[in-house]
Amino acid sequence: MGAMILALVIFGFTYVMIMTEWINKTTASLLGAFLIIVLRIVDQDSAFRIVDWNVIFLLIGMMIVMGILRETGVFQWIAIKTAKLAKAQPLRIMLMMFAVTAVISAFLDNVTTVMILVPISILIANELKITPVPFIITMAIASNIGGTATMIGDPPNILIGSATHYSFMDFIYHLSPVIIIITIVSLGITWLLFRKGMKVSNTARANLMSYREDNLIANRKLLYRSLVVVFLMLAAFILQDRLQLKIATIAMLAAVILLIFSNRKKVDHVLTKDIDWSTIFFFIGLFIIVEALQQTGFIALVSNNIIAFSHNDLKTTSMIVLWISGVFSAIIDNIPFVTTMIPMIQNIGTHFSGHAMDPVWWSLSLGACLGGNGTLIGASANIVSVGIAHKNGYKLSFWDFTRLGVIYTLSSLAVSTVYILLRYF
Amino acid sequence: MHLASFLSARYIILEKRDLSPVQVYENMIERILHNHTLPINKTEILELVLKREKQAPTALPSGLAIPHIRLKGFEDIVLVMCFLQHPLNIGGTEVSWLTLIITDEKSSNLYLNMVSTLLKLSGNSEAMRSLHEAQDPNALFNQLQRLDLDIHQELYVSDIMSWQPYAIHPEATMRELIAEMDSHQVAGLPVVNETGKYLGEVNILDILKVGVPDYVMMIEDLKFLHSFEPLEKLFERQDDVRVKDIMRKDETYLHPAASVVEAVFIMMQERKRYISVVDNGLLKGVITAMDIFRKIIS
Repeated sequence: MGAMILALVIFGFTYVMIMTEWINKTTASLLGAFLIIVLRIVDQDSAFRIVDWNVIFLLIGMMIVMGILRETGVFQWIAIKTAKLAKAQPLRIMLMMFAVTAVISAFLDNVTTVMILVPISILIANELKITPVPFIITMAIASNIGGTATMIGDPPNILIGSATHYSFMDFIYHLSPVIIIITIVSLGITWLLFRKGMKVSNTARANLMSYREDNLIANRKLLYRSLVVVFLMLAAFILQDRLQLKIATIAMLAAVILLIFSNRKKVDHVLTKDIDWSTIFFFIGLFIIVEALQQTGFIALVSNNIIAFSHNDLKTTSMIVLWISGVFSAIIDNIPFVTTMIPMIQNIGTHFSGHAMDPVWWSLSLGACLGGNGTLIGASANIVSVGIAHKNGYKLSFWDFTRLGVIYTLSSLAVSTVYILLRYF
Repeated sequence: MHLASFLSARYIILEKRDLSPVQVYENMIERILHNHTLPINKTEILELVLKREKQAPTALPSGLAIPHIRLKGFEDIVLVMCFLQHPLNIGGTEVSWLTLIITDEKSSNLYLNMVSTLLKLSGNSEAMRSLHEAQDPNALFNQLQRLDLDIHQELYVSDIMSWQPYAIHPEATMRELIAEMDSHQVAGLPVVNETGKYLGEVNILDILKVGVPDYVMMIEDLKFLHSFEPLEKLFERQDDVRVKDIMRKDETYLHPAASVVEAVFIMMQERKRYISVVDNGLLKGVITAMDIFRKIIS
């Protein structure tokens, strides 16, 4: 009992540090983790063993693959091609960019997606002499929605995928349909919100149409090779069960092949610039902290209470998980939240058999990923996008973002509720 | 670097006997050979010393003699000192202190500076008295260390910088800044206030940056763009942008007493070709890579 309280104090302290950013969140997570080892709540051996290396290597592998793909210029090319295909009409650009952002973000992590796309959208908006603010907000939202569609799109999904038996295909099979519906609904909302007041002169449009996006692909050979590797990697993800390979192995293999293709002799550039070591260590720390809650019995305590509260009814449990995750993720980082929720749901799962737990897991994923749109601080992609806007003189307050974010979040959580209820019960 | 670094008590002789110059030279040479392996023997060294003394005596009115020889390919400096209780008469000059130096055939800056340090010391009667009062080589060496004799061979920023730099006021407009840079043919200027206080720097890239907003800098590759309106309209803003809006406040600057090595180091590390020289908050000058380059090749 004493150990449990100690573990909870460290856990709470770490959460507060992560929320307030009084110290860097990675430092906070590592501090919490090693305090737990120092105080002997968990011994070092089991603490190191609990780190989910499947998650760590999947993250590293995907960061390398996408970092090299990014170097080919293909993402910028897609963004500009999209604007031109939209005939430089602002509303059409916004809608098409929303869809493109969602698709890219399904494979690329959300922060990277907005870091590539937001500066270009500001450039495009300036060229068209309209305000870029709606572009910036909708892009962040689109990246959060799109990231939910696949196992590799958003960290909560990576965590869930690794902790459960679900394969890459399972995520697509269960999540993509609802994400497509949510994207369509969100496009409708975007259209309703922004359909008026974006007038653009012919000269401005002609300027945008004169962009030569083909110049961006400097190294065609590397682009084609990278695309082939990425395609094979996705195919291997889909055939994961038949290949009898874990997803991290597939990603790392693709990463190593691309490292050879991009530069046979030098890898430091990719390893230092493209791998977000801060995120990697953030995960490692969280795994250890949550293990302390697990070992001291806190997780079992809470999950037993949830079961008692929902009277063993998975329908109620799913709804609780969906909405609680949605609300929590809007306020706190969804990575520590999901890391904590996973052992609880695993615990609840011990009382049920077969696919009965499916709706609970998908509810966790949908709630945690989509909830991030709820407020400005709900997801890293929001903070990064607004940060870019600020640096360029576009003032966007917490409420400017949150006012729009709430509309998208409520609508997507509502769609998810209907989807879960109709599909699984 | 310090003169004492070239010595130790073993290289200092305190001679109480009344000896001839040759005997003194022999003692000193023995002391060197005792601690050093040289390509020539004692007799050869003595011959060279005497030959050099015959050409022109090295004794000075201040009472110091610096007998020396140059060896081909030696590439080092070895010295031994001898303090005499009974002064010697060398070529008509009364000598109470000798420093024998063996150096390379080519006379290095270091050697010349060392000789000039010794000369300066021999002219300092107070320092010399303190040396002659020492009772044994150890005390002598300690006293030499205490005198903290610097062999000036470093080149300082103040030796090569331009002392009257052009500068610009923070309230100056971009138009005035461009005119100033144009008339002096420079790509950057230090920024100072009315009292000459150093505030920062402004250069041609800071002017161009006015036409390149932050979001453009975040785009990894701009090959698709062939024209960019804010950049083309940059000069329409000449009168409303002021130096203080675009200047860099946290540029590295140097003190006049900084070494030239440090200046070169900063230039390499920060990839800049000129550095402001600031003393006590006031702008004193500017040192450019070209200044250093010219100094080195001269």
